[in-house]
Amino acid sequence: MSKTKLGALLVLALIGIGLLGVLFGSVPLLISEVWAALTGNGQEAHRDIVVNLRLPRILLAGFVGGGLGVAGATFQALLRNPLAEPYILGVSGGASFGAVLMLSMGLAATSSWTLPLAAFAGALLAIFLVFRVAISSGGAMDVRVLLLSGVVIAAFFSACIAFILSISPARTVQSAILWTMGSLAGADWDRVVIAGVYTMPATLMLISLARSLNLMAIGEETAYYLGANVEGVKRISLIVAALITAASVSVAGVIGFVGLVVPHTLRILVGSDHRGLLPLSFLGGATFLIGADFIARLVLSPIEIPIGVITAFIGVPFFLVLLRQSVATK
Amino acid sequence: MIRIRTVQEHIRELIFCIIVLATACQPTSVEKNRGTASNIILVDATGLEVTLEEPARRIISLVPSATETLRALGAIHTVVGRTDFDLENWVLDIPSVGGGLEPNFEDIIALEPDLVVRFAGDQDPQTKSRLDELEIPQIAVRPDRLTDLYSSIILLGKATGTEPAADSIISNIKNDLADLQRWTSEKPKIHTVYILGGSPPWVAGPDTYIDEILVLAGGRNVFSDLGFLYGSVSPEQFRVRKIDVVLISDRSQFDPRLTPGARIEEIGNTLEFPGPNIAEAARHVAKILHGDLLR
Repeated sequence: MSKTKLGALLVLALIGIGLLGVLFGSVPLLISEVWAALTGNGQEAHRDIVVNLRLPRILLAGFVGGGLGVAGATFQALLRNPLAEPYILGVSGGASFGAVLMLSMGLAATSSWTLPLAAFAGALLAIFLVFRVAISSGGAMDVRVLLLSGVVIAAFFSACIAFILSISPARTVQSAILWTMGSLAGADWDRVVIAGVYTMPATLMLISLARSLNLMAIGEETAYYLGANVEGVKRISLIVAALITAASVSVAGVIGFVGLVVPHTLRILVGSDHRGLLPLSFLGGATFLIGADFIARLVLSPIEIPIGVITAFIGVPFFLVLLRQSVATK
Repeated sequence: MIRIRTVQEHIRELIFCIIVLATACQPTSVEKNRGTASNIILVDATGLEVTLEEPARRIISLVPSATETLRALGAIHTVVGRTDFDLENWVLDIPSVGGGLEPNFEDIIALEPDLVVRFAGDQDPQTKSRLDELEIPQIAVRPDRLTDLYSSIILLGKATGTEPAADSIISNIKNDLADLQRWTSEKPKIHTVYILGGSPPWVAGPDTYIDEILVLAGGRNVFSDLGFLYGSVSPEQFRVRKIDVVLISDRSQFDPRLTPGARIEEIGNTLEFPGPNIAEAARHVAKILHGDLLR
């Protein structure tokens, strides 16, 4: 499939699923009621639902899903490892650690920003530690060391979380588990603005580095001989991708599979030219997460299913089918 | 966690009540049981039959509400082990064996119990099988509904030879709740939601003791149509349903923007598990809902 065609398809899908998300939710509303709410008329409760719950939630899902898609594609290119995903550098472990620490100290209630900020700080700490280890092992940054230290530091943070939870009251454990599973239910306009302001420039920056990422994906040595600033590109793009992930974790928790499945799917469909792959990964990730959240809200309404369950239930079978087909055609 | 009651369970409960009633007619005081051939036969919440030669004297309670019940029965001296979740002053001298699910078995063995009280249910099959392997007698209690509470009070009364106390506790609870209901029946129904925490918020649905207490306290459970015992509910639902009062153990666990106009009331651990002081808890809720005191 050509990139432009797929891009156009994804834009249509994104608009379509976004519209569905506004029209349908746990509370059934007529199209006329949704329209009235959007134009500032209609019942107050309906306006509240459409403008303050559904719209921010869809936009947040879009930014978070898109960001995770781009970050995943970037990590896979730079680490030259198909298993790479946005959380591979210990970002999720660090973020969860920050949040759980606040919960266990009873500080979560001090402000609605305490948990997101703590998660962000924890994610930054993890990124710092991982990069510190990778850089100190020699002048240049070795991606194998980066990968290993990411895994080890993630494991260390989960041990810290397990320790904190084992000495905390039961209520903390419940909140912490819900928090580390990821959820878009806390979406509000503040979070949308933060996620957008953060994700969009970072995504554009990674897209501008797409040509260098193409070279890096072949091999660092080749990239060097072909004139790429290997170390510079590597550092900037890894840090930007890690920061996108940190921001998404701090507003929506750890949502799995988006950053793994979406870029791989697109790579199978259009090949691995990052000039096309990165924007498509953003569109694909956004569409996928908005769609998954739509299902999570509706399937058992009025109950919501954790978003991670849906991303796995849809993402995994879909991906396995594609993987089989791509192997068969080779 | 999510469990719909089956017909079998109701039948089991009925049979259990019949057995209890039948045995309650026999004289079974502590003195008569001790050292005689008349064994105590217990049928627990899972329908399992356990025979004790004499009333239990070294009990490990893995269920906080059971620990409270044993205290109310005047049998707290028989409790040699508790869980980390028992936090009242009067239990702190009793050693803990960890959590109620997957407790520490070294501690359990060291305490040489002659009876372990555990949760009924499938969350922790290991505890049951390990106790069986160790040949430590065990009974299971189910803390789901008021009838479960009554059954477990009777069961623990039998196990400790304190049936008269068990009977009077139950009749006191029933009288208190009947009084409360008489009082609240004249009041307008307050639309109430009980939130356990989380995002999206976990609420109590139908067929839970919380639902029963809300009704007894003159409220109406906003999510009595949930279809599950407990579940995390879409934020949209909070905006369209009529909600007068939000009950929550810890205010920090809830975003008040979800229920503009509703009163948010912190009630601590009052409703976290149904124990022998359930009538008091229900009165407390009624007081919160209706604002004025019972005479």
